Formats: sequence, C-alpha cells, structure tokens
Amino acid sequence: MRGHFANLVVYSGVIATFFAVLTRRDRREQLRFGGLVWLSMVLGVLLLAYLMLPFPR
Amino acid sequence: MTETRPLAGRAVVDVPLGRTVLALVAGWLVPGAGHAILGRVRRGALFFLLVMGSFGLGLAEEGRLALYSPRDGFLTGLQLVANLGVGPADLFARMSVYGEAAYALPDQSDPAHAPRIEKLRERQRSAVSAYGTAFLWSAGLMNLLLLMDVWDIAKRRKD
Repeated sequence: MRGHFANLVVYSGVIATFFAVLTRRDRREQLRFGGLVWLSMVLGVLLLAYLMLPFPR
Repeated sequence: MTETRPLAGRAVVDVPLGRTVLALVAGWLVPGAGHAILGRVRRGALFFLLVMGSFGLGLAEEGRLALYSPRDGFLTGLQLVANLGVGPADLFARMSVYGEAAYALPDQSDPAHAPRIEKLRERQRSAVSAYGTAFLWSAGLMNLLLLMDVWDIAKRRKD
C-alpha cells in the first residue's frame, strides 16, 4: 500500500471501526458513530493538507 | 473474590478475580481473547482482526519497532510501551527484524550499537515507514484499551 490516500483511508477505517465497536452496542449506533469518525478523520486530514498548500517544504 | 452490587436497578455479580486475571493475561497474549473468555466471542474476534490487521500492515510498511534509549528515555519509553501493548507478536517481529529480542539501543561504545541503529534507520528510509509506525503503535495502544475494556466488563461497569 504505497499511496498516502490509501493509507489514510485504511488507517481511518481501522480506528473508526475499533472505537465504534468499543464504545457502542447497537449496530445502527456503531455504523453512525464509526462513519462519523471515519469521515471526520479523512476530511480533517484533507482540509489540513489543503491549508498547508501555501507552505511547501 | 466475588462481589455483588447494584447497577442500573438490578443486582449484578462480578466475574471472579481468577477469571478476570486470566482474561487480562489472555487478552494481552492474543488480542481479543480477553473478551472471548468473558463471553464476548464475536466482539473478541473482530478486535483480534482489527489489532492484528493493524499490526500486520505496520510490519508490511516497515514501521518502527522502537528501541529504548537512555538519551531520550521518555519518548522512546512511550514508543516501547505502544509496541509492547500488542503482546508476544511484538517479540516475534523483533526477532525477525533485529535477529534477536532487542528492546534497547546499546551504548555507543557497544559493538552492537552500530548494526542495530543501522537496521532501525534502514526501515525508516522506506517511503511508507511513518504510516507503518502509526499502524504498529495504534495496534499496541488499541490492545491496551481492550485490556481496560476487559476490566470494565469483568467489574460489570459495562456490558
């Protein structure tokens, strides 16, 4: 898995699933919470990357 | 020791101490096994897949298997805790990467210093090593959280 985006998507998926199953019991609640965490992580990183565009290394 | 106390309006019984300790030890040895011992087999199986999947991805992406160094004791100590959280799988990974059960960076005067730090740097040169490290450390930290969850289940603080 060489791509940055693929790593972001998979890593967010693992973390979101873990916390959804750990903290929620109801299946629908797990899906909603897990989806929210996953989306927040992916969109948050994309937003951060966008904000960093004017500051290349 | 079995203790009875009310929770949410009904009497509940704690899991016996011996079974709790067994679940905690098994949970560290095999991620998810603690939940399985306490009757949460499906949840335990899913946790096993998540933790070991993350660990496997971390190894495949050449993540850092931290070595304790007295020069930066606090940070390298925390990194080591994150690695060790995953259980004996970490030991097998170290045997495969370093050729021995290496947990510390030897002193610079030690002949073992140069080859060990070279091995560490060699892995970090990989373009995806930082992701690998995130997967590896997350696997260990997730398993440590699972042990706390096992304790809460045994104490009937959660289902």
